[in-house]
Amino acid sequence: MRTDFAFVGVMLVTAALLMGVALIAAALLRPKKPNKAKLATYECGMETVGDTWVQFRVQYYVLALVFVVFDIEAILLFPIAVAFNSLTFFAVANVALFIVVLLIALLYAWRKGALDWE
Amino acid sequence: MTVQQVLFIVISLAVLGAALFVVTTRNLFRAALMMILAFFGIAGLFVLLEIGLFAVAQVLIYIGAISILVIFAVMLTRGMQGMVPRNSQAVGAAVTAAIIFAVLLLILGPLRVTVDLARWPVISLFAGNASPREVGGIAWTPANQAIPPVPETYISDFGRALVDLNQYLLPFLLIAFLVDVVLAGAIFIARQRRPAEVIEERQLRAEEDAEEAEAMRRASAPSALPEGAVASAADH
Amino acid sequence: MNPINDLLRILSDFVAGIIGSIFSFSPFLADLVTMGLAALILCTFAALSFMGLTYVERKVVARIQDRLGPNQAGPLGLLQPLADGIKMFTKEDTTPANADRWVYNLAPLVIAIFALTTYAVLPFAPGVVGTNLNVGAFYLIAIGSGSIVAILMAGWGSNNKYALLGAFRTVAQLVGYEVPMLLNVLPVVMMAGSMSLVDIIHKQTTLDGNPGIPFIVFFPLSALVFLISGIAETGRSPFDLLEAESEIVAGFHVEYSGMKFALFFLGEYVNALAVAFVFSTFFLGGYAGPILPPYIWLLLKAAFIFFIFMWLRGTLPRIRIDQMHNLNWKFFVPVSIVHLVVVMVLMKLFVTSPAQAQAVGGILVTPIAQAVILFIASMTILLVSLAIAAQRARALRLQEEAILERRRAENLAAVGA
Repeated sequence: MRTDFAFVGVMLVTAALLMGVALIAAALLRPKKPNKAKLATYECGMETVGDTWVQFRVQYYVLALVFVVFDIEAILLFPIAVAFNSLTFFAVANVALFIVVLLIALLYAWRKGALDWE
Repeated sequence: MTVQQVLFIVISLAVLGAALFVVTTRNLFRAALMMILAFFGIAGLFVLLEIGLFAVAQVLIYIGAISILVIFAVMLTRGMQGMVPRNSQAVGAAVTAAIIFAVLLLILGPLRVTVDLARWPVISLFAGNASPREVGGIAWTPANQAIPPVPETYISDFGRALVDLNQYLLPFLLIAFLVDVVLAGAIFIARQRRPAEVIEERQLRAEEDAEEAEAMRRASAPSALPEGAVASAADH
Repeated sequence: MNPINDLLRILSDFVAGIIGSIFSFSPFLADLVTMGLAALILCTFAALSFMGLTYVERKVVARIQDRLGPNQAGPLGLLQPLADGIKMFTKEDTTPANADRWVYNLAPLVIAIFALTTYAVLPFAPGVVGTNLNVGAFYLIAIGSGSIVAILMAGWGSNNKYALLGAFRTVAQLVGYEVPMLLNVLPVVMMAGSMSLVDIIHKQTTLDGNPGIPFIVFFPLSALVFLISGIAETGRSPFDLLEAESEIVAGFHVEYSGMKFALFFLGEYVNALAVAFVFSTFFLGGYAGPILPPYIWLLLKAAFIFFIFMWLRGTLPRIRIDQMHNLNWKFFVPVSIVHLVVVMVLMKLFVTSPAQAQAVGGILVTPIAQAVILFIASMTILLVSLAIAAQRARALRLQEEAILERRRAENLAAVGA
């Protein structure tokens, strides 16, 4: 089991090295002529006004929170799915109850408009 | 020193270093990124413990969901750049930490943890002539003090245990309800209503506009207008 | 085609033998070097296929749009990827003035690395798999969600309002479409009884006494929702609101140029190809197939799925952001949940193995009968939910039209009178 993940680690390192080599090669090959206009922040050709801070709408946070809820549900459901063939009817009924409770959470969020206009 | 021990040292140092960086830096976004590095390290520790399921679950939840939540929360606070954090509780915190450390030393001291460098970081609890205890269904006698290896079928065992009435069924269902409540609370807080005055003001303005429009229409066009048009104008 | 299989096997044994003899003083190092070589081969395969895919995509989309596509660089434009590569290497890299150097430079690297590590668990042929993780399916989704943070890094590190806004929107989209993916991999895992990709393929082949039915027959709704969520996860058209030039000016990677932008691009295409491979593995049976060698089957299936991606890109208009979120949270997620519960109940009611029927009870049916039952249930849920959605959409449209009519009448009355 440990050696399985060892390959994942090796893959991460190899990909990092490969991409790093590409970046370094590009850094050596490309021209470097910075001037003030090139270094300025891009704003469709206009000068920027004020510092970089955008109106962060709360909907983003609520969407991320709903995702966390379903993520937790999925983590608990995956081992149950693996053990599914040996579960009894009672166990499956409990799993269905679990899923239905989370469906109610989603419906509540829907009714309260948390899932609206992005 | 086996490879696992070297890996354990490296990953632990990375996690501790990242955690230290998180609590001492002033740049909130970099702190969030270092926290993600710490989470990766913890996933690596789970891999060393041979529980791939928890390692992947750690990446999925902590790095895929909670880190994003934390970064969003960081973005929600205004003036994130250029904040100078001030800590007026430093002395009290240091004293409390020292007291807790002393208490922990007193409690864990008699356990006589022995560290066998050949098998470290598998440490032996209840060493020497301590009485055997029952931990997790396994009798810990001085003889079998190694952590038992994770069985091959641990995923389906875990799945079965989650829905077993005698094991973790109740916490499993409670998680669903808890998460429900958390979501409802967060949605309720995030949907702050404007103060009632603003609503009233808008209503008043809307009514005045409707009256004006109606008066204008009556003055210029005495012909009958369908009721629906006037009513809908007042609605808007 | 068995001689090719045998040749590859002889070659791999030879190479393994050489490495073993070089590093005979430490079997650990020998293992490490072998794994490194395998990782290198996988990464090279992904990078080369990225180059080929950019060319194929441009050609196919061009043909759909009744034009030729690249045909200047080399015969039939075949050297176009090479030309693009040279351009990427030699373009100047303008780092914006107040950007956070570390974060700005690391973001494309992290995205490319995560995209490439999905190939570590894909089975290309029986016995040819990077590593047969017993949490393979879970791992794929976790890697997909791990790369989301890199997008926030890119957006924040650019010190650009539009990049940050684009990053937020992109993350909201990606995070949203993770949920239907998770919920629809569950029926596959339930059917296979394991998260390991090799086991999932085994359950769809005629090994171990299975009837050899691909899972798309069992769960067509899951396959459809997983495919569409996969397209949305990679940010391709028609879900490419976030990088459309006319909208938010290339979104979170507006301040990147040259090689770093190429890495973002590579990440997107490698991700799309990975989704094609993963879909083939989960729902189409992976490398299983009658006559041709296994890797040819897998490549054919993945190519077919990728062709569907390109087809959708050339045909459909861009989807609006509120439409996209509504589609996800108000259609895909509830339908997936209902489908999951129904599939669970049906799979417990109608079992296929006598040992299971005795142990936990249930009606014993043949595997084909179970497949038919699940197929009918899945299609019923799909058609019913589509009908409900169509009806709601029609009602909404009529309502909107009624309001518009009323407003038009008022305006006419107010102006004309």
